[in-house]
Amino acid sequence: MPQAPMPELTSSVKLKYVKLGYQYLVNHFLSFLLIPIMAIGAVELLRMGPEEILNVWNSLEFDLVQVLCTSFFVIFISTVYFMSKPRTIYLVDYSCYKPPVTCRVPFATFMEHSRLILKDKPKSVEFQMRILERSGLGEETCLPPAIHYIPPTPTMDAARSEAQLVIFTAMDDLFKKTGLKPKDVDILIVNCSLFSPTPSLSAMVINKYKLRSNIKSVNLSGMGCSAGLISVDLARDLLQVHPNSNAIIVSTEIITPNYYQGNERAMLLPNCLFRMGAAAILMSNRRSDRWRAKYKLSHLVRTHRGADDKSFYCVYEQEDKEGHVGINLSKDLMAIAGEALKANITTIGPLVLPASEQLLFLLSLIGRKIFNPKLKPYIPDFKLAFEHFCIHAGGRAVIDELQKNLQLSGEHVEASRMTLHRFGNTSSSSLWYELSYIESKGRMRRGDRVWQIAFGSGFKCNSAVWKCNRTIKTPKDGPWSDCIDRYPVFIPEVVKL
Amino acid sequence: MGRSQEQGQGQGPIHSIRLSTVGAARPTETGTTHEPTGLDLAMKLHYLKAAYIYSPETARDLTVRHMKDSMFMLFDQIAWTTGRFSRRDSGRPYIKCNDSGTRFVEGQCNLTVEEWLSQPDRSVDEFLVYHQPIGPELAISPLIYVQLTRFKCGGLGLGLSWANIIGDSFSLFYAFNFWTKAITGETIHAPPPSRGDRRFQSPNPTVKDPVSVKQVDPVGDLWVTPNNKKMATYCFNLSVADQISPHFPVNGINSIPVFEIIAGIIWKCVAKVRAEPEPVTVTIIKKDPNDLKPNNAIRNSQVISSVQVDFPVAEATVEELVRSMGEAKDERFGIEEIGGSCDGNLDFVVYGAKLTFVDLSGEDLYEARVMGKSPDSVYCNVEGVGEEGLVVVYAAAKSEERGVTVTLPEGEMEMVKLEFKKCGLIAP
Repeated sequence: MPQAPMPELTSSVKLKYVKLGYQYLVNHFLSFLLIPIMAIGAVELLRMGPEEILNVWNSLEFDLVQVLCTSFFVIFISTVYFMSKPRTIYLVDYSCYKPPVTCRVPFATFMEHSRLILKDKPKSVEFQMRILERSGLGEETCLPPAIHYIPPTPTMDAARSEAQLVIFTAMDDLFKKTGLKPKDVDILIVNCSLFSPTPSLSAMVINKYKLRSNIKSVNLSGMGCSAGLISVDLARDLLQVHPNSNAIIVSTEIITPNYYQGNERAMLLPNCLFRMGAAAILMSNRRSDRWRAKYKLSHLVRTHRGADDKSFYCVYEQEDKEGHVGINLSKDLMAIAGEALKANITTIGPLVLPASEQLLFLLSLIGRKIFNPKLKPYIPDFKLAFEHFCIHAGGRAVIDELQKNLQLSGEHVEASRMTLHRFGNTSSSSLWYELSYIESKGRMRRGDRVWQIAFGSGFKCNSAVWKCNRTIKTPKDGPWSDCIDRYPVFIPEVVKL
Repeated sequence: MGRSQEQGQGQGPIHSIRLSTVGAARPTETGTTHEPTGLDLAMKLHYLKAAYIYSPETARDLTVRHMKDSMFMLFDQIAWTTGRFSRRDSGRPYIKCNDSGTRFVEGQCNLTVEEWLSQPDRSVDEFLVYHQPIGPELAISPLIYVQLTRFKCGGLGLGLSWANIIGDSFSLFYAFNFWTKAITGETIHAPPPSRGDRRFQSPNPTVKDPVSVKQVDPVGDLWVTPNNKKMATYCFNLSVADQISPHFPVNGINSIPVFEIIAGIIWKCVAKVRAEPEPVTVTIIKKDPNDLKPNNAIRNSQVISSVQVDFPVAEATVEELVRSMGEAKDERFGIEEIGGSCDGNLDFVVYGAKLTFVDLSGEDLYEARVMGKSPDSVYCNVEGVGEEGLVVVYAAAKSEERGVTVTLPEGEMEMVKLEFKKCGLIAP
């Protein structure tokens, strides 16, 4: 019946225009206020006529002292303003490590190794297979060479080799891309959660590239998958204190020493998801970099839920009954992640949301508190605040959960899903692979705002907001250069193994 | 000393064994399968083995990483061989091309290459080839095993164990040569693998009941030849001029059929030992002269023919035997039919169903150059040989020599070796 759908269609179109109208009104409220004021002022001026205006001007008696004080005052205020404004932090460029195809682990190989190593525990093998089928990973994710052995041979040497391979390759690429000389690096931050040798990985980098002796180097370990944004926050603070400097951040997770060798089911899960990866990022506060920098850091919000016991224990490294060390993931992980995200959004919302959304949220809050507690809470539409979203590719469940909570479309979470498919969960560096995906698809324009959300053990939720500084041409090299044409790819709910 | 054929070899003088997996670099499309032909299925209980030994000068600087990376280039061309077997509902085996990979075995040996090669019975090279049969779980059984043995001096032993169901010896050599080219860093232009008909052209479509293949009791999913007797292997080198020519009237030095003469001599020796009943029927396996295309290079296209004589073999002359070998009947068509019958659920033995002679002497195995240098030694054999026995003849390091690997029941081996000594094939 043609009549029934028509009213619905017209009503939804009407609603859309009403929404748009409302948003324009509230977001540009001050401009709207200004128009009548300017109109009145213009009418007054026209009414007065030029002689009257001159008379008004002459009647104002200007004393020299008054003039000097006023101008001095104005100059003072503007100087204080400019000096106390935080420095603009730029992300000049970044580089992601692309693992060699010879480290590839197809599903069939992973399951065969699992069956051979866990031959006495068919239930654990079955569990791993079910996880892998639903994981959202593809057939091209990579594990380091030591893990390809049956059983894996995670020696310290092998772990160091992996660290050297991924970190040095990413840094070589970054130096080449940016033309930076190693001697010019002022700040170095390396974050790798589970591998912390002595001397540290940052010392290893300094040794390899012969960095300066007065470099400010920091090595962050144990901070989980959100450590990448923690490093960015630290770099930002350091760059506020040190003028005219740059900082290199290396985010990675070294898989070799952390491959769980036991057979507890909850601890086998990370083996199925974590893969090789690394990213090197160059940040700077130099004015000279503002032309070539890709992004400007707008906001960075860190939320830590460690005070709550349930959150603290939900990702816990421990020994199993046989003495094998692994990471135990609790069943409440998704719920805890949701709560952490809510806490983070509550802080970042007011900073990034347009006035229209904030007003609606305030009204809905007032409505729930005062009038009707049963009213559904209004979820602000973050799609109005950002053009691109980079959700940490921790696993399919995380991306699904966030897509639902933030009411994002498939295209918004495409970068996260495709990164999970192609590279697996590369821990702290996954946000940079996702950003690289968006750039490789040619979607990054000047002025676009990007929201990076990372979760980590503790339990932490960190988010960073970047603003694109210049339209980015599709990169010719990079981790996606040889496969971007195949993406996006359809990822079935369950892959038949 | 003969060496017993045991499964899971690779131990003995080889220690510090480490297993890993190598595969193809590019992912195969999900759902791809590879269907074995009837001839493939008839060969499923057999495994081809080859061991190449390279001197320390050639191999000292080759790292395991480099060898593995080069294998990826090989398997990019033949990704289907990295799959795993599965059965259709009817029970017919097929290969699921799921990129599982092949097993790569690393081992160390406390001897130098020189010490290793100084052992007269070359069947010690069996230790350089890691072998496991397919099964009992088809889904986790690799079709190919590669063993890399590092000798004390830095030399390298490369051993390949290759399920015959995926291809014949000539395919194995093709794949190995490809690998050596990749190791050396040569750019290889491999022909694109065509998915066309992989069957052979047979001139004899009428042979219906092949005698060269024997049906055995069902082996289920563990593809091992069921033998009642334990088999032993012995390997030695022959010089054509000194040991072969005297047995044959010389018409022209270039025209003597070396393989047929060796086969004839050994046939006689075995017949003398195995008196009742004499082996009047033998199987000859050779390269198909019509099969020149490199496309579909990995397949079973070897000519399997049968020779039957009606005179007592032990008293016959070598010439008579060589002449009758010329009248061998190509039985591939019949084997193809019978192998694919009952939806591939039947199990057969080809090598050793009758006394079998395999001619690999046309293949220049020493062309498998790594960094420009040929191997010091090459060894060939077959695993899963039936009780009638097998003789493999192949090129040796010197062009006027041949390598011979003999696999016979343990009980017969010593007596046959005595006969060899009497004929002058091996030194007394």
